[in-house]
Amino acid sequence: MTTRDIIRRSGRSLKSAKGRTILTALAIAVGTFALTLTLAASNGATAYVNKIINDNFDPSELIVTADPSIFGQANTSSPKEYDPSFGTGVSNSGATTQIKKITQADIDTIAKVDGVASVREDITVNARYMTREGQKKYVTTIASYNPAQKPDLLAGGLGADFNGAKLILPEGFLQSLGFSSAENAIGKSVIVSIPKNFSPDQLKAQLLAGSFAQTPEQLAKSIQDNADNVVFTVAAVSKKPATSRPGTELYIYTSLDEARALNDISTSGSTGFRKYNSIFVKVTNGNKPSNLDATAGRIRDLGFQVRTVKETQEFLTNIIGVLRGIVAGFGLIAIIASVFGIINTMYISVLQRTREIGLMKALGMRRRDIGRLFRFEAAWIGFLGGAIGSISAVVLGIALNPWITKQLNLSAGTKLLIFVPLQIFTLIAILMAISIMAGWLPSRKAAKLDPIEALRVE
Amino acid sequence: MIKVNDVSKTYGKGDNLFTALYKISLEVPEGSTVAIIGKSGSGKSTLMHIMSGLDHASSGEIVIGDKSLTEMKAKQIDAFRASEMSFIFQAFFVEANQSCFQNVMLPLEIAKSPRSQRKKRVEAALKAVGLEEKVDALASTLSGGQKQRLAIARAIVNRPKIIFADEPTGNLDSATGELVIDLLFELNKKLKCTLVVVTHDGELADKCAIRIEMKDGEIISASNSKTKKVVRRV
Ligand SMILES: Nc1ncnc2c1ncn2[C@@H]1O[C@H](COP(=O)(O)OP(=O)(O)OP(=O)(O)O)[C@@H](O)[C@H]1O
Ligand SMILES: [Mg+2]
Repeated sequence: MTTRDIIRRSGRSLKSAKGRTILTALAIAVGTFALTLTLAASNGATAYVNKIINDNFDPSELIVTADPSIFGQANTSSPKEYDPSFGTGVSNSGATTQIKKITQADIDTIAKVDGVASVREDITVNARYMTREGQKKYVTTIASYNPAQKPDLLAGGLGADFNGAKLILPEGFLQSLGFSSAENAIGKSVIVSIPKNFSPDQLKAQLLAGSFAQTPEQLAKSIQDNADNVVFTVAAVSKKPATSRPGTELYIYTSLDEARALNDISTSGSTGFRKYNSIFVKVTNGNKPSNLDATAGRIRDLGFQVRTVKETQEFLTNIIGVLRGIVAGFGLIAIIASVFGIINTMYISVLQRTREIGLMKALGMRRRDIGRLFRFEAAWIGFLGGAIGSISAVVLGIALNPWITKQLNLSAGTKLLIFVPLQIFTLIAILMAISIMAGWLPSRKAAKLDPIEALRVE
Repeated sequence: MIKVNDVSKTYGKGDNLFTALYKISLEVPEGSTVAIIGKSGSGKSTLMHIMSGLDHASSGEIVIGDKSLTEMKAKQIDAFRASEMSFIFQAFFVEANQSCFQNVMLPLEIAKSPRSQRKKRVEAALKAVGLEEKVDALASTLSGGQKQRLAIARAIVNRPKIIFADEPTGNLDSATGELVIDLLFELNKKLKCTLVVVTHDGELADKCAIRIEMKDGEIISASNSKTKKVVRRV
C-alpha cells in the first residue's frame, strides 16, 4: 500500500469510530491548549520585555552603580555602617537606607577606562510642578533624554537642535495644560518649578532678618517659595508609550545639559549634589558583546556594580522562562497522561479489527504496512488533538488579547499573547510523533497477528 | 497450474502432536475448478491456507505456475498473493463501516495498482456482481447474499489468477447460495481464473471439474487421475 492510501484508510477507520477518537484526541487537546497558550504568553512577554528594553535603553551602554542594592544584590540582613557623605533615604519597604552614589570623581575615573566612549548621568529631577500661564499646576518629573530612545512623536521633532531649555511633552499633559492639539503645543512655553536648597548665605540672611521659622506656615511658605521657575519650549509631543519603563509614562524629557543644570539647581547645598544613583556608560563598538563584556569587567575591577542592558534583559527573560516552564510542565503532564489514552484506544482498535487485519493479510498486505496503518491512525489522533487544542487556544487568545491589554493597563495595540505559526506546527508535529510512539505496541500487535487466527475470530 | 507435493501439516509436539494434513499431493490445471469436500475437521481449510501461502506446510512443497511458495520469503509471498490470488470466506469479512466502493478498493490499494484505473475497475467489479446500485452504500446495510457478492467483487477486482473460496455459501440460504454459485462459475469462465472451493454443498461440488474428498487430513477420493492417494501407515 502506498503511504497516501494508508493515511486515507487510517483516517477513514477513525471516522467510523468517531466517539472514541474524539475523546482520546480531547485528552491531548487539553495539554496542547495549555502548551499553546504558554508558548503564546511567553512569546508575548519576551517581546514586551525586549521592546521595553530597546525603547528605553541603548544596548551598547552599560549601567553602572556604586551601590549593589540598586541591582537588588545588597545584603540587607547585616548592619551597614553610617556614612555622612551619602545622606539617608527610604527604601521601598520603608526602611532607612543609605545608597552609595556615583560622584563626579567616579565619572571622571570611569570616563578614562579603556573602551569607554562616553558617560552619561541618569538624571531625574523631581520638579515641584509644571504649569502654563492661566493653567493649573501639575506634579512632574524631569529626566535626561537619551538619544538612543526613539519615542513615538505626535508632533515636533528631536533633531540636533534639541538642547537647552527644550522638552518633550507627554501626550497626557496636552489637555491639562490647555493645548488644543499636539501641533498647537509645539513652540509654546511651559514653566517648570525646580525646588532649591537653602544656601548658607540665604540661611544667614533669613536668620538675620528674623523672618525665618516664626510659624510653621511661614516656614512651609519660605521653602515653597525657594524655587527656580525655568521656562521651557515644547519641542515635541510624545505619544502615550506602549513600552516605557513602568512609572515613567509622564516623565518630561529634556536634553542632558539642561537636565544637569536643573539637577544642580535642585541639589546644590545638599549631600546629593552631583551624585547619581546610576550612570550610563557607552562602550566603543558596544554592539559587539565581547567589547561590552571586556569594558564591563574593567569597570567592575574599579569596585563598581555593572550591568549590561543584555543582562537585564536576560534576567527578565529568565523569570519568564521559569514561569513558562511551570505551566508547560502541567501541559506536558496532560500530554503524558493522554499517551496512555492513545495506547488504550489503539489496542481496542486492533482488537476490534482483528478480522479486518486478517483479511488484509490474506489479501497480501505486508506486515510493515499493517503496522503503519495503525501508527498513522495514532498520528491522526495526535494531529486531531493538537489541532483542536491549538485552534481553541488561538481563538481564545485572539478573543482575550484586548481584555488582557486593558486589564494590565498596557497601551492599545500591545499583545501579551503572541501565536507563532511555526511553533504551533512544530508542537503538532511533536504530538504526532508522540502519538506514533504511543501507537507502537498496538501496531506491532496488529502487524504480528497470524492471519489464520485472525480469520477464525467469529 | 497449482502443484501440491507431499504436503504435511502437524500441530503441537510430542504426545500432543496432531497431523492435520498427511502427505497431500494434487495438481490443479490453470483455469480449472476444484471442490474440496469432507467432514468438519478433515483439514480442508488448512489445505487451502497452505496452497495460498497463508500458512506454512510442515513438509512438502507448493508450486504455483513456475514459482515455489516454499522457497519464497514472506514479503514475496505477500506480494504474490496480492497480485495473483484472492479469497472469499464463509463469514464474508467485509468491512462493515466502509462503503462498498472502499471495500472493493482494498485489494487494488494493497497491490498498488495504478490510481487512474482504480475507479473504473471497482465499478466494473461491482457491476459484475450486480451491486452497481450500491457503490456508496455502507457494507453494513447489505443483506447476507449482497455481502457475499460484495466479497466476490472484491475477489475479482484485481483480476486474480486463482480464487480461493472457503465455504462461500455456508452462511446463505439455498436460493441465495445458488445465485452466488452461478456467479462464481460465470466469473471463472469469463475471467479464466482457477477456482478452489472448500464446501459442504454437494451441488456446488458437482459443478466443479475436479472433486477432492478429504478425511482426517488425507485425500480419500479424487476425481482426476493425477491426484495421488497416500494412505497413512499407522
Ligand atoms: N492452530 C491449530 N492448532 C492445533 N490444531 C489445529 C490448528 N488449526 C487447525 N487445527 C486442527 O486441524 C484440523 C483441520 O482443521 P480445518 O480447519 O482445516 O478443518 P476443516 O476441514 O476446514 O473443517 P470445517 O469444515 O469445520 O471448516 C482440525 O482438527 C483442527 O482442530
Ligand atoms: Mg474450514
